[in-house]
Amino acid sequence: MSDFIKVSRDEIMDGKMERVLDFFRARSMWMLYYCTGCGAIELPPSMTSAFDMERFGLGPMATPRQADILLITGYISVKTLKRVIRSYEQMPDPKWVVGFGSCPVNGGIYWNSYATINQLEKYLPVDISIAGCMPRPQAVLDMFQKLKNMIQRGEAVGYKKYKLNYDWYKKNQDEVLNREEPVFREDELFSAPPEQISGEKITAGGNR
Amino acid sequence: MTRNALVERIEAETGIESRPRYSNQIEASVPRERIISFLSFLKTIGFEHLSNITAIDWIQDSTMEVVYNVWSYSERIHITVKSPVPRGNPVSFTCMGLWPQGRVYEQELHEMFGISFQGNPTQGPLFLHNWKDIPPLRKDFDTEEYSRRAYGYLEEEQ
Repeated sequence: MSDFIKVSRDEIMDGKMERVLDFFRARSMWMLYYCTGCGAIELPPSMTSAFDMERFGLGPMATPRQADILLITGYISVKTLKRVIRSYEQMPDPKWVVGFGSCPVNGGIYWNSYATINQLEKYLPVDISIAGCMPRPQAVLDMFQKLKNMIQRGEAVGYKKYKLNYDWYKKNQDEVLNREEPVFREDELFSAPPEQISGEKITAGGNR
Repeated sequence: MTRNALVERIEAETGIESRPRYSNQIEASVPRERIISFLSFLKTIGFEHLSNITAIDWIQDSTMEVVYNVWSYSERIHITVKSPVPRGNPVSFTCMGLWPQGRVYEQELHEMFGISFQGNPTQGPLFLHNWKDIPPLRKDFDTEEYSRRAYGYLEEEQ
């Protein structure tokens, strides 16, 4: 093994070694898909013989500690967000996040729901997103090609962004997960007149 | 027993009016004080399966209705029992003694509508994470405004 590639410290520092590694990283990507919503239904056709994503070097992985890509397929409720962050922080570097469908981009059809967050980018560094509700397997494969090129060129740097801006991400996560004050003030609560709300009238109800 | 005969029997034995609905359903409205005795009467005449408990918020009437859906395997008839509770003091009674699965449904109603059930020991949070506001399925809760303030939104591009 003495004639194996020798890499000097300078070469590592100016990123040559990183470029070699990126070449290989782009060819062996293991996905962890967090099936939060309906998006997971488009993955079986993408993975099986109809579209066959394994020909691009992509494979499914069962645990976060061996995965490279975190696939967020669909809407994310607040309760799920906590688990997604936990999975993401368990993954080893380098790691990439894919927002799958409209919901991680701007909330999708759940944009006005009290239970789901609207923009995943505020809480985790998203490297690439696919719009659509749902994106077809062709779009999924196209996205993976793009992501592969980005990784090979060293442009997919979400995990570095997360480390550098950890305070900002952590602040946004805390705002949602560890809220201390109610969102609505006391005087904003009742849209009906208060005497009507506090009345003790019992009607038979329902027959309208 | 046919559906109409059941309607007559319920009225004869409990004095509560019910009415047929669709092809195999009955609907009844019962005051809060009599809801548990009425449900236990239903259980004795063959309505043995509690499908679910849900609620409706009639904000103009300042009333909330607790809705029990009960199914009879022997008669193949579905009965919907509605029980109004005042909106200012939404308290009802638990049906855990009749159907143990009612416990979780009542816990959910307590979280989503703020209706509490006397006798149910589990009234803690169930689905919502760290919830500080009023129960979200009440009609006076503005879910869109909540989403804008809590999670932000993207401005439309011009």
